[in-house]
Amino acid sequence: MPSGGNGVGNGAGTSGGSQTFKPYRHLKTLEGHTAAISCVKYSNDGSLLASASLDKSMILWSATNYSLIHRYEGHSSGVSDLAWSSDSHYTCSASDDCTLRIWDARAPYECLKVLRGHTNFVFCVNFNPPSNLIVSGSFDETIRIWEVKTGRCVRVIKEAHSMPITSVHFNRDGSLIVSGSHDGSCKIWDAKEGTCLKTLIDDKSPAVSFAKFSPNGKFILVATLDSTLKLSNYASGKFIKVYTGHTNKVFCITSAFSVTNGKYIVSGSEDNCVYLWDLQHKTILQRLQGHTDTVISVTCHPLHNQIASSANHLDRTIRIWKQEDA
Amino acid sequence: MNAPIIDPLQGDFPEVIEEYLEHGVIKCVAFNHRGSLLAAGCADGSCVIWDFETRGIAKVLRDNDCAAAITSVSWSKYGHRLLVSAADKSLTLWDVSTGEKIARTTLQQTPLHARLNPGLSSPSLCLACPLSSAPMIVDFEIGCTTLLPVCVPEMPDVLAPPQRSKCPESGPPFSPAAACFNKCGDLVYVGNAKGEILIVDYKSVRVLALVPVSGGSAVKNIVFSRDGKYLLTNSHDRIIRIYENLLPAKDVLRSLEDLGKNVDGVDGVEKMKTVGSKCLTLFREFQDLVTKMHWKAPCFSGDGEWVVGGSACKGEHKIYIWDRAGHLVKILEGPKEALIDLAWHPVHPVIVSVSLTGLVYIWAKDYTENWSAFAPDFKELEENEEYVEREDEFDLMPETGKVKVSSVNEDEEVDIETVEKDAFSDSDMSVEELRYLPAEPIPDTNEEQDELKLIEARISASPASEEAGQNGHVTDLVSSPQAEEMGETRGKRKRKPSEKAMELQAEKAKASKASGRTVREKSRAVGDQEIDESVNGGGDDDDDAYY
Repeated sequence: MPSGGNGVGNGAGTSGGSQTFKPYRHLKTLEGHTAAISCVKYSNDGSLLASASLDKSMILWSATNYSLIHRYEGHSSGVSDLAWSSDSHYTCSASDDCTLRIWDARAPYECLKVLRGHTNFVFCVNFNPPSNLIVSGSFDETIRIWEVKTGRCVRVIKEAHSMPITSVHFNRDGSLIVSGSHDGSCKIWDAKEGTCLKTLIDDKSPAVSFAKFSPNGKFILVATLDSTLKLSNYASGKFIKVYTGHTNKVFCITSAFSVTNGKYIVSGSEDNCVYLWDLQHKTILQRLQGHTDTVISVTCHPLHNQIASSANHLDRTIRIWKQEDA
Repeated sequence: MNAPIIDPLQGDFPEVIEEYLEHGVIKCVAFNHRGSLLAAGCADGSCVIWDFETRGIAKVLRDNDCAAAITSVSWSKYGHRLLVSAADKSLTLWDVSTGEKIARTTLQQTPLHARLNPGLSSPSLCLACPLSSAPMIVDFEIGCTTLLPVCVPEMPDVLAPPQRSKCPESGPPFSPAAACFNKCGDLVYVGNAKGEILIVDYKSVRVLALVPVSGGSAVKNIVFSRDGKYLLTNSHDRIIRIYENLLPAKDVLRSLEDLGKNVDGVDGVEKMKTVGSKCLTLFREFQDLVTKMHWKAPCFSGDGEWVVGGSACKGEHKIYIWDRAGHLVKILEGPKEALIDLAWHPVHPVIVSVSLTGLVYIWAKDYTENWSAFAPDFKELEENEEYVEREDEFDLMPETGKVKVSSVNEDEEVDIETVEKDAFSDSDMSVEELRYLPAEPIPDTNEEQDELKLIEARISASPASEEAGQNGHVTDLVSSPQAEEMGETRGKRKRKPSEKAMELQAEKAKASKASGRTVREKSRAVGDQEIDESVNGGGDDDDDAYY
């Protein structure tokens, strides 16, 4: 049940920063799902917000007035992840029923394709920038690349990891894929050939719960289940920034880069808050309170200073946070 | 970009056939500026565009008026337009993103090659080389064709042998000439039957310079490298010659005029030759001294480092690759079908070759696993290194603690947004390039859905290897995957046949084993009812942990 919390936690000052940090305030709470919401994502053009849930459905919201536009039904099991195509016309959802579905984000909101091939829960999904390919990672320890147009599986990277894959992401020009897994490793693959180019971490623990490229494709943000977020320059293989303070030991919580007004790292946490760090100084700028369960997913609006966050079973809501103006 | 982690030790040219593309009988191919799309002309008059990343068909351009074989395809610089020449003497200009015909004209003869002007962003001007007459400039907007001169009228020279004393403006009746635009599209380089390269200003229809090709043998192909620095000619004497282009990249016409003015004392042909010697110098010659074969479709690699030529012998599909210094680095051998066209990918070390049977073969590097990629600390060494251990390496209690000094400055500013300028945006970015055709998912039809569910139901508890077949289904029934492949996409696309056969055999072997089903094991996804049971029933505890 959503609490009426305002959402301003203790924000540490931006020591040495050139602009003072304007805190985010709670704008709206969206209800509609009947189970934990595993993923929220804004579309690239900023007009739509999509949320996926363990209640087997996906909801499309307007990002201007946050009204519910459509509820997508069709999966026979909970949905763990969703991704937007670059032109904001299509979404792809990854589900425990071992399939992925491509949905139309325009009327009549049909399910256009079902991608079959994985043999276990599909946990993560992403489009490549030209959006002619989709990459998916699964509990069956393989990464699959699918052709959007025909739904054909173009490549299977078998035995990519030795445990479920928690995260897959294309880089800016679509030539690389980064994958993170419960086996504690984070690997970079050549998207064309499916060969492993580099392994970033290779410890058995802690598990890598999330990995994604920075907007310019030069850095990788990696979350591990020891409550740590690390930014790595993958060409050198070194971790240059470490962000801590939140709690992340159990769930695969997504994080995001916020670049619309100052550079921040945003992440959910198991203490029911959304954390914002300064990218350069690694200090916690704000803790957004209000959710009543683990915040599983966060997403930043591509144009406005807004963040959407979604939470686990006991909460089941999406909260929209907006940065104060001037 | 992934440049920093790709092994620089590997040579930058392809080695093996990766796969082949099929769509009717293909006659000619052309990559767009970035190599993201491949256009191919077919024998039935249609033109197909493949998305080279997914290897799936992005678009088919079909003109109902034209049913004759396509002789060449050419992209405009930013990929918006495609020029197609066909055996029924026609030239058609297409708009790629809409798939609509912009213009069409019919010439006197069938054009063998047609090229759009590479300097303009929306060109309606093109160069066409017919089989048996001089190359011409065709302007679609004005609707006129201009013949280009193929030889320079010579002054009567007493010492010249009689048969070469005079030639009419348009050249003898059957004198094929090859021609190409220079990089910025304001000059045309014509290679004629007498073995000369003429530099022509096509706007004023004047020959500005002349470069005689040693040996005086007819020029069959003439093509520039992508950066415009090198010119390649393929002559009837079976030699491929590389010339270095001495003219500057911009304001070429003015430089040529200036060169012409600075040459004193000579006139006519001699003057042209003198100017010509300042425009091109012979750099290298390639030939196969052993077999002395004719070459077909020679061209440069995307970065101009390599020269590739196909052998024109019937019954063999050989591609020769030389480096610019003149060494033959590789001979690629394909299946025993004659080669009719060749193209090097503008960016990647990939070659596309068309065989007489109409198949498009894609040659790429043979990737070997880089084992140092599997551990973060591993580094591949060029050669064995002798390891000298430290004094206290084997001590039970080493004196110095093994503390890795972190050489990373954690306070350094990190830039996550700026993107480096693209190496391939070599000109102004005012015009947006058409890199990809939007991939619109083709909606699954109901029949396909039912068929797939039936197949799923048949594979019960037997574990099966993951397979990149149609929608991921390879069953122990050999016939169905192939049936699906036939029906689904219009353009077929296969991997090496042997791989598929091996996988099907492995399939059959595994299907005979029975296995229990555990939550995280590789159990086949079955129909809806069974999924609910297994996932919700047995897997609930694990589910929660992972969300």
